[in-house]
Amino acid sequence: MDVVVCCKLVPDLVEELEVNEAGTDLDWAAVRWVLNEFDDHALEEALLLKESTGARVTVLVPEADGAEEVLYTALAKGADRAIRLTGLPPGAGSRALAAAFSQVLPSVGYDVILTGVQAVDDVDGQVGGLLSGMLGLPYVGVVTGVEVDWQARRAVVRKEYAGGVVEELEVDLPAVLGVQSARKPPRYAPVSKVRQLMREGKAEALPAELPAVPRAAVRRVFRPQTDRRAQILQGPAEQAAAQLVAILEERGLLRR
Amino acid sequence: MAEVMVFAERQGDSLAEVTYELLAAGRQLSEALGCELSALLVGPGAGGLASGLGSADVVVCAEDPQLAHFTPDGTLQVLEAAVQERSPRLVLLPSTSQGLDLAAPLAARTGLPLVAYCRELWAEDGVVVARSQVYGGKLMVEVALPERGIACLLPGSVSAEAGRAPGTPRVEFLSVPAVSARARFRQRFEAEAGDVDITREDILVAVGRGIGDRENLSLVEELAEALGGAVCASRPLVDSGWLPKNRQVGKSGLVVKPKLYLAVGISGAPEHLEGMKDSELIVAVNTDARAPIFDVAHYGVVADLFDFLPALTEAVRQRKG
Amino acid sequence: MLTPLERVLFLALAAGCLAYAAVGFRQVFAAIRRGHGGFPRDRWPQRLARTAVQVLAHQTLWRTRRPVAVFHAFILFAFTDYFLVNVADLVEGFTGFSAAHRGGVWGIYNLVADVLSVLALVGMTYFLVRRFVFRPKSFRFNPQVMLLPGVEAGIRRDSLVVGGFILFHVGSRWLGQAFKLAAEGPDPWQPLASAVSTLFVGMPEQALEVGVHATWWVALGLILLFLPYFPRSKHIHLFFAPVNLALGLPQPPGRLEADGKGAARLEELPWRRILDAYACIMCNRCQDVCPAHQTGRSLSPAALEINKRYYLNRHLREFSRGAPSPPLWEYAISVDAVWACTTCSACVHVCPVGNAPMLDIVEIRKRLLEEGVVPDTNLQEVLVKLGKYGNSFGKPERQRGQWTKGLPFRVKDARRETVDVLWFVGDYASFDPRVQEVTRTVARLLHHAGVDFGILYEGERNSGNDARRVGEAGLFEVLAEHNIRLLDQATYRVILTTDPHSLNALRNEYQALGRRYPVVHYTEFLLQLLEEGRLKVVQPVGRRVTYHDPCYLARYNRVTEAPRGLLRRVGAELVEMPRNRENTFCCGAGGGRIWMREEPGERPSESRIREAATLGVDTFVVACPKDYTMYTDAVKTAGYEGRMVVCDVAELVAQAVGVRAEVLAQV
Repeated sequence: MDVVVCCKLVPDLVEELEVNEAGTDLDWAAVRWVLNEFDDHALEEALLLKESTGARVTVLVPEADGAEEVLYTALAKGADRAIRLTGLPPGAGSRALAAAFSQVLPSVGYDVILTGVQAVDDVDGQVGGLLSGMLGLPYVGVVTGVEVDWQARRAVVRKEYAGGVVEELEVDLPAVLGVQSARKPPRYAPVSKVRQLMREGKAEALPAELPAVPRAAVRRVFRPQTDRRAQILQGPAEQAAAQLVAILEERGLLRR
Repeated sequence: MAEVMVFAERQGDSLAEVTYELLAAGRQLSEALGCELSALLVGPGAGGLASGLGSADVVVCAEDPQLAHFTPDGTLQVLEAAVQERSPRLVLLPSTSQGLDLAAPLAARTGLPLVAYCRELWAEDGVVVARSQVYGGKLMVEVALPERGIACLLPGSVSAEAGRAPGTPRVEFLSVPAVSARARFRQRFEAEAGDVDITREDILVAVGRGIGDRENLSLVEELAEALGGAVCASRPLVDSGWLPKNRQVGKSGLVVKPKLYLAVGISGAPEHLEGMKDSELIVAVNTDARAPIFDVAHYGVVADLFDFLPALTEAVRQRKG
Repeated sequence: MLTPLERVLFLALAAGCLAYAAVGFRQVFAAIRRGHGGFPRDRWPQRLARTAVQVLAHQTLWRTRRPVAVFHAFILFAFTDYFLVNVADLVEGFTGFSAAHRGGVWGIYNLVADVLSVLALVGMTYFLVRRFVFRPKSFRFNPQVMLLPGVEAGIRRDSLVVGGFILFHVGSRWLGQAFKLAAEGPDPWQPLASAVSTLFVGMPEQALEVGVHATWWVALGLILLFLPYFPRSKHIHLFFAPVNLALGLPQPPGRLEADGKGAARLEELPWRRILDAYACIMCNRCQDVCPAHQTGRSLSPAALEINKRYYLNRHLREFSRGAPSPPLWEYAISVDAVWACTTCSACVHVCPVGNAPMLDIVEIRKRLLEEGVVPDTNLQEVLVKLGKYGNSFGKPERQRGQWTKGLPFRVKDARRETVDVLWFVGDYASFDPRVQEVTRTVARLLHHAGVDFGILYEGERNSGNDARRVGEAGLFEVLAEHNIRLLDQATYRVILTTDPHSLNALRNEYQALGRRYPVVHYTEFLLQLLEEGRLKVVQPVGRRVTYHDPCYLARYNRVTEAPRGLLRRVGAELVEMPRNRENTFCCGAGGGRIWMREEPGERPSESRIREAATLGVDTFVVACPKDYTMYTDAVKTAGYEGRMVVCDVAELVAQAVGVRAEVLAQV
């Protein structure tokens, strides 16, 4: 009953993202790394599975500034094992990360692999989908709920579509699931617990070789030019409101 | 000869809107590359739907009865078989719930490079170039696929018009062994049927996190009523249960194109913009002058909505008499 | 005076009652001792002296409900006297020695007893009438307040029993004197009893004798019978209130002590908090000043203590023997109420018996967080932001100093440069756009006065005060450690802040990490600048204003006169809020509440604006960044826009010294 959560750290969008001088990549030195929000949901879903079925939860996180925090927070939340994947430089890309995961996962052991359905920086493909293809496992993404029947080696998942439509699917295990949101919001790990676990040093490390993966050539990275900026209606509320009403009337939108 | 292959997404017995966008993009690319445009249609009755894909040169059908409902694993097997058999130059998939289940696994299984979240695609001297949005829309990245590859197009990026062009494509049937789907459909839950279909309303007043408390929704409701429109919302408010799912606008909600979209207290995250940026007239109200919503709005008011909404409601009522 | 049979009976009754009472009291002590914490061994002479003064002068009762304090004084002095009286009566019963008809010391003794007896009867009658006829609102709890079943009926019954006991005990003793005097003739030193004795004068001697014996038995017998009742009655405050007061509270009251793992159950609390339940007189003063309860929430500090007490009453035997009790949120205080607390410490401040319900709540919060129970997703997000970015706004650290960009001068970087005054700015003053204006005004004032000051720029973190009060002790430590590291490296004379929460943390809470910083509030500092002539008033403000004392400034840190001095100096006419200084009413932002989802219903800040509106002023002056945001919002949502304007005291000072042109919004 092994649930493995494959995580990645992504640049924090709170910061200004700087492009490097050549204009071909992010300036990695200026990046603050945070856990991919969807991976946090994947972890929460895994912990919910642990609570309901007694599964063992292992978390994999590639090495980066801030990975320690992520690993120990996962342990504080209830994960059983936290493993740091070494050997991958920042900016290696999702495909390389997925390949690295596929290298180590057999030795870690898995029945269900959960990961965030996407990330803000996976323009070269979503880790979950890529990983499933590399391991030859079935993949379902945009998952909002997972239940597992370990005996029958089957999971029942809820998959979300546009417009609020949800479908229930049955998936044979082992499988990879791309989590959109957990059934409950990700739980809180008190700082004292995280610090305590850090002192105990329970996280492990596994080396991975940087694999060669097919990559599309990045020509440039740039800030989007916004061609349209709204015309701001000036003045205090009443004045702006009057202007807007005039515009609406002109366009025939104030039908009686 | 290598072709540009479009995955035609189905919505039950009809084709999804995004399929036409894919065809439009695909058409342009195939002409620039000097090759054919094919559309892959999966599931029973595919042959019958083929006529709707007139802008393609050839419609490749795989009518396995196991694929009556979209199933990630099963469809992937067919798609992979089609790609192996036909070796397309470029595979175009939608960046939708279906597409996300297919593109990345396909890339891994075929060893082809993949570009996701494309907003634009074009060909330059035989090289396919994609412009994708990343980091929540903060940056764009331009990627080249000099050889074979897979691209995922964001819905609403390309006009569907060219994709709807009439035509009589050839229909070919894919010879695939029966699919052994490791994921199977069980049941479907429709979105809560609501009183209002916001996709049919002419005037929408959209409310986001800036509204603060649930009680303040009344300000928005009053304005909507005065304007003769309906209230809709961004995802956070629906997630909090303040409004039902059938009022949600955005990537995981509904796409709307009303005559007037009044966005109140909405910052303009890309996921939301996807759902409304084609509205005829977009007016945004936000206290933050740099909110991304002002990039898509035609008019903006930088003000506290607690001041502006009552003022606007009053002005509308007065003008209407 | 007593017959031999009576003596035997009395001794038997005494033995039985004392034995029974001893069992109960022993259980009470065992119950209290289950809690953790040490017993202070220091300064007992001072403690006892201070408590004696506190009790005899009714200091703690004088804070609110003054008429009640007067009547309680009657009863308290009567009872204190009755220690002597009961002993004397006991001696009289066994030896026949009577103090009546004697002059000198005994005469005074008799007079005092006579007068106090009547006063006690008057007082007790007042209390019973007040509770059962007038039925003040204070004795009712909000509908959603969690109460053990039968608590309200139990309080009523207890009140009747105690009231009856006092009336009968005192009344009977006094009547006994009347009977005696009817037989022996009036005593000039017992005028009141003598007056009543005239009613009995005609009665046969036998009857009077019976009367004397009967009243003796009722008076002293009731005491004996009441002794075993104490462990279950709020009347035990006779013993535990002075003890609680003598043990005292950390200074300032509301300051949090060393952090443990919090408490889910009664036995996991510090023993002082279990003692609180026994000192509690169930007067509900704390509830009356609680901003949550006063705005209809499910939190009542009174209900918390009362529930604890009733649980103990009902399970004393098992509990005293070590049986586990259910989590407090199942019977004593709901989870919703736990999170409704703003940690304003009004309950601690007003309690006449030295209880601190707020401290219980923080302990429970610690445990809830420990178990990952954060019922409010907003709060959880903020805690994550604090951990990641060191501020509650989720802004990157390097934006902390952005507010200085609007200034025509450079603000020194206290991390690298020596400064005289190190200004610890705080989250809201740094990041909230409205408050940034005020922060800039303060900077201009300091610059104008030639103060050598600097800030920590990106080095500053949230002081951790409210993180600690939310129960996140670990986060408090992380934030504090960081701030301490920077402060230790900096060179300065004094720390200045506009934020009372930061002031409280730096001055008081950081002691838990071994630091006690010299911190001054900007109102104190600005006043000093004016007094030294480094700022001069050129244009008195000439407005009628009212001033809201921030909880963490006035109650926690007792800074009340400096802001008032400032207002006087700048020529503002101050009309005091009805609840001012240490009695100030919280704006509702503290204890992490400003980080939580808004609840429906009236907010404390709206209530406070309404209170201000009754004063006929149009300017509401604040001296705290969170107050500034809370009250500018409240003016709008309470519907006073255009009639009341909120301004920071710094804005008035700036206007008065000519640093900026008219800064205040026009009403």
